[in-house]
Amino acid sequence: MIELKNVSKQYRQGARAVYALKDVSLSIQKGEFLSIMGASGSGKSTLLNLVGGLDQPSAGEVFINAKPLHGISDSELTLIRRRQVGFIFQFFNLLPLLTAIENVGLPLLVDGLPFTRVKPMAEAILHKIGLAARAEHRPEQLSGGEMQRVAIARALITNPAVLLADEPTGNLDSHTGEEILLLLKSLHEQGQTIIMVTHDSKAAAYGTRIITLKDGALSQDVAIGGPLA
Amino acid sequence: MNFSNLLRHISFKHIKLNKTQLALIMGGICLGVAAIVSIDIVNHSVLASFESAINHISGRAALMVSGPEAGFPEEFIEQIQSVTGVEYAVPVIETNANLAQGQGRSLVILGVDVLQDHQIRNYAISDESADIPDPLLFLARPDSILLTRSLADREQIKLDQEVKVQTVAGIHTFKVRGLLNPEGPAKVAGGDMAVMDLAAAQLAFGKEGRIDHIDLSLLPGEQLDTVKTRIQKVLPAGYEIDTPAGRTKQVELLLIHFRKAIRLTGFMAIFVGMYLIYNSVSISVVQRRKEIGILRALGVRRGEIIALFLGETLVISLCGSLLGVLLGLAMAKLTIHTISQIITEVYLKTTITDIAWSWPTLFQNAAMGILAGLAAAAFPAIASSRISPISAIRSLPYAENGSAQSSKTKIAATITLLLAILLLMLHKITGGRQIADATHFAVVLILLCISLHTPIFLKWFLDIFHLLLSKRLGAGGRLAGLNLQKNLARNAVVVASIFCSITLFVCSACLIHSFRQSVFAYIDSIIRADIFVSSGHPMTTGGSPSIPMPAEMLKEFEEIPGVLMAEPYRKVYTHFNGKRVLLAAFDVTARLSYCPAMLADGNREDLLRLLPDKEYIAVNEGLSAQHGLKPGDKVMLPTPSGPHAFGVAAVVVDYASDSGCLWMDIQTYRRIYQDHLVDMYELRLKPNTEIEPVCTTILERMGQKRRIFALPAGEFKEEVRKMLNRSFVVTNAVNIITLLIAALGIIVTLLASVLERTREIGVLRSIGMLRTQVAAIVIIESALIGAAAGLLGAAVGLLIGRLELEAFFQLNMGASISFHVHYAATALAILLAIILSALAGLYPAHRAAKTNIVEALAYE
Repeated sequence: MIELKNVSKQYRQGARAVYALKDVSLSIQKGEFLSIMGASGSGKSTLLNLVGGLDQPSAGEVFINAKPLHGISDSELTLIRRRQVGFIFQFFNLLPLLTAIENVGLPLLVDGLPFTRVKPMAEAILHKIGLAARAEHRPEQLSGGEMQRVAIARALITNPAVLLADEPTGNLDSHTGEEILLLLKSLHEQGQTIIMVTHDSKAAAYGTRIITLKDGALSQDVAIGGPLA
Repeated sequence: MNFSNLLRHISFKHIKLNKTQLALIMGGICLGVAAIVSIDIVNHSVLASFESAINHISGRAALMVSGPEAGFPEEFIEQIQSVTGVEYAVPVIETNANLAQGQGRSLVILGVDVLQDHQIRNYAISDESADIPDPLLFLARPDSILLTRSLADREQIKLDQEVKVQTVAGIHTFKVRGLLNPEGPAKVAGGDMAVMDLAAAQLAFGKEGRIDHIDLSLLPGEQLDTVKTRIQKVLPAGYEIDTPAGRTKQVELLLIHFRKAIRLTGFMAIFVGMYLIYNSVSISVVQRRKEIGILRALGVRRGEIIALFLGETLVISLCGSLLGVLLGLAMAKLTIHTISQIITEVYLKTTITDIAWSWPTLFQNAAMGILAGLAAAAFPAIASSRISPISAIRSLPYAENGSAQSSKTKIAATITLLLAILLLMLHKITGGRQIADATHFAVVLILLCISLHTPIFLKWFLDIFHLLLSKRLGAGGRLAGLNLQKNLARNAVVVASIFCSITLFVCSACLIHSFRQSVFAYIDSIIRADIFVSSGHPMTTGGSPSIPMPAEMLKEFEEIPGVLMAEPYRKVYTHFNGKRVLLAAFDVTARLSYCPAMLADGNREDLLRLLPDKEYIAVNEGLSAQHGLKPGDKVMLPTPSGPHAFGVAAVVVDYASDSGCLWMDIQTYRRIYQDHLVDMYELRLKPNTEIEPVCTTILERMGQKRRIFALPAGEFKEEVRKMLNRSFVVTNAVNIITLLIAALGIIVTLLASVLERTREIGVLRSIGMLRTQVAAIVIIESALIGAAAGLLGAAVGLLIGRLELEAFFQLNMGASISFHVHYAATALAILLAIILSALAGLYPAHRAAKTNIVEALAYE
């Protein structure tokens, strides 16, 4: 379902070229919960950005549901982000201006749906994640865990092909972090494909498969219950 | 749909949250649009007033025949009436008079043929005069007069009552035989008009046997142009045969310099307003960088981000422009009286009773405000779409790249400079006449070029500040300088907007100063009499409330004890090469015996040899430059007996009219034009004679017969100074508006800068910085911005003033207007920039000082 073929990403640091990812090939099946681990600067977030269409590879190919993410226009890439991908960030990245329900409905509003149609959908998801009572609150009135749950609800509202989580518990206390991981796990159990970047091995263990990156290259690929490669 | 969602859910929330900032931006747009709207309305009202006066006076006349302003022989009526195709040809005396009672209200007098005029004009008599079977017949008695109902009400004059009117022949008593309802000619000058019999008007206003124009209607089926050609054949060349619309066009041409000048200043207000928008949208983009990143990550396209910012600007510009239109209407209403006065003093008599506006013009001006806003917002909006979602959502603090100027900016600056130089060269090569606006465009390009260089200038300025001053101002001064350096490009935009308004201020101050200095030098060279006597206010050039006096009064003046000599001065407008120019007739020998008179070409001896009682004239520099005239050339002038050739004796310096001036000896004038009226007598006194007693004697001897103004030279010059100041009142008002807009720009920028640095300010407070110290940093920052802008603006203002002087004044008035730096105004401008900027920094400083330390440190 998600395919990376010989993907490299190169940045320039002054006159020097730095590889964030080097010749990575990876295949992620529908319904998988993939955890990506690695030290700081190993290329975890770069990989996630490429899968999410936030960035484009310097070399190689990326596909979601057989649709290429490389070599397409910014506008096409943006539409893939809008409809196929759901992002969850470490710092939540909710818009402080909007209420929880508006933040959740934002991807659909962006897609042109009227708020009257978006509202019941957003309410249903908020209800599902147990935040129905906080629908009209602004981010600043919510706790960290609640903000991250709102961010998860926002990622889910478009019914995306894949949920991408970049250190979703990195900014939360351990108890709240665990709640979030349980929520992700339950989503996975309902069939949601999830790719999660984390440097916490306990968090990674919630996945069905863990890959480890080292200096931009794939160093380990383990399925829970036995190594894949 | 998508866009409307973004606008409703994102933009409107921003608008709600940032009310202060938005109110400031809206205020800026509102002021810019108000300036342009009011100028437009004023310009429109002035023309509309003339047009309506011309139309009301013209009535059903299809054509109007006019000759020299002093009038032409009435014999032409029969000749014109006999032209095939002419239905009715009626003579008219159209002149000014004053009521010699009440407040001395100025009146337009129409002297008409009582038996014929109803064929051309409709006179509606009010009810109480309705028993008059044919009201015009009543005018056959020479003391009859018809007043308008509104004038009678204003002056509390009743039917059959006597009124005193100041005429050329002195104060005359007339009997009000009827009151006119506000229809047709009775609407002229807001009703301040009166109708008299032609013969009575000729007698009262010194025009015996002469008329001012002939109005004619055509027989059905006749072609206007055909009849016009036929009339041209029976009239001597030089007579004007115009439609009412053609006459309006003439007025439009006469006022062109005035209208252009005030419109140009209006555009500058919009230009500075554009900086404000550019600046505020740039700030908004920086502040909302993370939001843009999130939206981009969630699938908002680049075009939609651009549309979001443009949409917000559209809403703000729309509201600002609508408010601007309302404010502009109010400003026009408040200033129209002053403008009317300026036009009367400098060009033609006008009474603008109300402002004239139209929906399309208002819409056009509002649209201009909105378009200017969108154009200014376009650059930062496009820049916003280039923000990478990854870097934006990483929560990294925003930092500008280090270089003060990108290569693209350098290229743009070079191109604008080259274009400006090209335009200036073209202007020089063509002598400026073909492309008079070239300099204005060049000036705008130079302003743009310098604006693009402001980051570099600001960097230099701050380097010098660090070197010389920052240590003396302690930590606050140092931090202020560093803060400005951190966001060089953004602060440079504020510097650019203030510098633009300071440039405008210094440029107009120097232009006005140069013009004034030159006018005073000219006045000093030509006006050296001790007392100036006129029958009405003396400081009016064109068709003024000043009523001419008879030539015979000269003797009376010479008999007054203490008077050495009296000199008559007559000023009329005449057509010259399709333009209306001022013809000044005076006793050349007498005048040059005591006045140095400035000459641009030719010599004094030629003037004295050629002008007195000979067919020679002198032209002013403007006419000489526009028509390539030099001493020895021949020119043709229309006179009552047809075109007359005059030799050019010299080119003189005369700034009395921006459309051109001619000098003629008064004996020559009287002989050729058959006009023996005098607008002003200039008296020279015997040595050691006191002026005041002579003035008193003049008033005692002549004040009974007519309203007399006898002004000593000092007071006369003071009146000139006042008139000059008044004529620049619009420019000054718009300059103040422009400065206000620039000040709003400073507040917006500093406020944004303070909000952005909340955390930094929190850190400073946590390590023990006092609230006053934090506030001082912000105020020092704003004062530094003001100082940089003030210095740059003053320098550029002097440069542009020099260029504009050539384009605006020298072209029309002559090269003798030299550039004078107004040192006081230049210093004041720099000081004003610093003070205004420091004041604008007060609110942001207050906000910074109020920062809550705990909240600020938790601020992300």
